Amino acid sequence: MDDDLVFKALADPTRRMLLDRLFERDGRTLTELEAQLAMTRFGVMKHLKVLEGAGLVVSRRRGREKLHFLNPVPIRQIHDRWIDKYREREVSALLDLKTSLEDTA
Amino acid sequence: MTTMTETTTQVYQLYIRATPEQVWDAITNPETIARYFHGAQLDPGPLEVGAARRTWSPDRSRLWGDNTILECDPPRRFVHTWRSLYDDELAAEDESRVSWEIEPAQGGTSKLTLVHDRLEGAPKTAASVRGWSFILSNLKTLLETGEPFPAEG
Repeated sequence: MDDDLVFKALADPTRRMLLDRLFERDGRTLTELEAQLAMTRFGVMKHLKVLEGAGLVVSRRRGREKLHFLNPVPIRQIHDRWIDKYREREVSALLDLKTSLEDTA
Repeated sequence: MTTMTETTTQVYQLYIRATPEQVWDAITNPETIARYFHGAQLDPGPLEVGAARRTWSPDRSRLWGDNTILECDPPRRFVHTWRSLYDDELAAEDESRVSWEIEPAQGGTSKLTLVHDRLEGAPKTAASVRGWSFILSNLKTLLETGEPFPAEG
């Protein structure tokens, strides 16, 4: 896995939205994904290609259809390499405080 | 967090710096499996279609899985049934299916794809097996460094 490709793929709101759509329901066709975005088919294809290049989306054929699946493994690896390592107890306590303050606000 | 619904096929894919034969060994050899799969103890047995694939808890006190091999094509494709017996609620659900696909890739790596499907009758199992990401990352670390990833804190 190439970390740069994953971070680059995640650095775009449309691509993050595509991942969220697949998280909600996996194994979708381009047509289904396109219907949820205010974007041309070509635009959605371009974004899916970047996600596939980063390994975040895997496509598989089922009969005549091409289905897109969210692949969570690269995110797991980013987590292990970049998040777990820097996650201090203090930081997590501060985040809890932020969440509880924002929930009550 | 959004709950996942209607998801009956899950796909996991990663590249491992190892030969397809090494990856095949890692998914079929009981000693290796114990090192990346929560210490699971797999009973030795023939690698052939119809054979049982029975796994136990690390101390062998509890049956974790009693699955059947559906396809066996070393070192490319290994398919078996899946039922999570370590939890009564999960064990009561329908059987699902796990397929391991291994392909040689660029630069001395192998592409490993795990497809967990036929989860229509096993929604709780579908939610619980999201942990495949952890298992597969562990497997990759073990094959590439000789040591599994440190246990989750």
